[in-house]
Amino acid sequence: MKLQNGSNDMIVIKNLSKAFGDNVVLKDISLSIKEGDVVVIVGASGSGKTTLIRCINGLEEVTSGEIYVNGVEVAHSKSDLIEMRKEIGMVFQHFNLFAHFTVLDNIMIGPTKVLKIKKDEAHKKAVALLDQVGLIDKSGAYPDELSGGQQQRVAIARALAMGPRVMLFDEPTSALDPEMVGEVLSVMKQLAREKITMIVVTHEMGFAKEVGDMVIFMDDGLIVEQGKPKEMFSNPQEERTKAFFNKIL
Amino acid sequence: MNILGIINAAMPQLLYGAKLTVLYSIATIFFATIVGLVFALFKLSITASLRRIGEGYVHLFRGLPLLVEIFYVYFALPMVLPLHKWFDPYFTPVAGILALTLNEGAYITEIIRAGVLSVPKGQTEAALSISMSKYQTMRYIILPQAFKRMIPPLMNQFIQTIKDTSLLSVISINELTRQGQIIISTTFESLQIWTAVAIIYLAVILSLTTLSSHFERKYEITKR
Repeated sequence: MKLQNGSNDMIVIKNLSKAFGDNVVLKDISLSIKEGDVVVIVGASGSGKTTLIRCINGLEEVTSGEIYVNGVEVAHSKSDLIEMRKEIGMVFQHFNLFAHFTVLDNIMIGPTKVLKIKKDEAHKKAVALLDQVGLIDKSGAYPDELSGGQQQRVAIARALAMGPRVMLFDEPTSALDPEMVGEVLSVMKQLAREKITMIVVTHEMGFAKEVGDMVIFMDDGLIVEQGKPKEMFSNPQEERTKAFFNKIL
Repeated sequence: MNILGIINAAMPQLLYGAKLTVLYSIATIFFATIVGLVFALFKLSITASLRRIGEGYVHLFRGLPLLVEIFYVYFALPMVLPLHKWFDPYFTPVAGILALTLNEGAYITEIIRAGVLSVPKGQTEAALSISMSKYQTMRYIILPQAFKRMIPPLMNQFIQTIKDTSLLSVISINELTRQGQIIISTTFESLQIWTAVAIIYLAVILSLTTLSSHFERKYEITKR
């Protein structure tokens, strides 16, 4: 029924290109990510890293090429996409919590309405997740009563409540005040150790060094260089990578 | 007869008219809201043909005088569609409500569409990212948030609808305005009767306004 790609890798991207009109933002990207790996994508803004992860859960339609998640192609048909997204959680730069729901309802709406899990069961899981992200006392609060860091931790819990095998993070700490970055990163590090597959677009090089299995440097819609964090940071091979790290590190 | 005496004598008939005005208003608001919601979703659809249907509807029914629409449904349409036979003996109220609904629905379409568009795109993306279908996203995430922002313009439109029912007098629906005309045609007491009619309209609309500010306050408290 669905296309299989014959690989055991969690995510396989083959010759992916994406253009918005005449503006080509991803150019023939190919990439494989193993289950449980934590992949950190870095690069200047406009390099295509956000578009790349948005293609993985179908928020952007690809122009050409193929993406497989857990061996199944990210298809264009609606029902396939909905099935696929159950496996892929996403955390946004601006949190995007549902403004009219409490923290608890934000986390429970997916499991109850999409996965059709019973309310008391979903509630139990939501409470456990809130405990995990350290916000058990905020369950009745509305998003606009929380700080940015707290909102982002709720957003992580909301994504985890769907039981995803892959988590996508789109600059999860970029919109936060500096003193709140740490609390979000520590939740993410904890996840990384739980062997959930993670793809993280970020400028937090410390995070990449500490828990990253692979770093990908993108520039101008291309993967310029990829490798183990230690090797990449200490000994980048490409001129563009060196120039970027010099600026940011 | 003094002023109060005249108004007193006319009151049962005027109140009957007021009752019809309220009933026609409620029916129109009910159907026009449904019609508005459907065409708003058409206009927001990713399917180009649905979008065009929605746009065509709004252009047509917002672009014509309501009076012409009432005449058209009541006099012209039965020439090609035997509505008067299908709905006999209720053709007149059906035609009145249909004409009003089509007209008010066009405005409500735009109000609902604007409300939906005012909800940030990130809300939709977050809903899709937790596997919601487009329907679930609308139903649980977008419309509840859009609704709050739609209350003031919707209330405005509902008030407009109440006033617009006065035009139904031209197809002999015995609502408040027509009752006034009928009484004056025999009593010639224009000043007294039109004053009474005006006061009744104000009373009806004021009670809706009160209801509206109650809703606005209720949603203002929770702010969401």
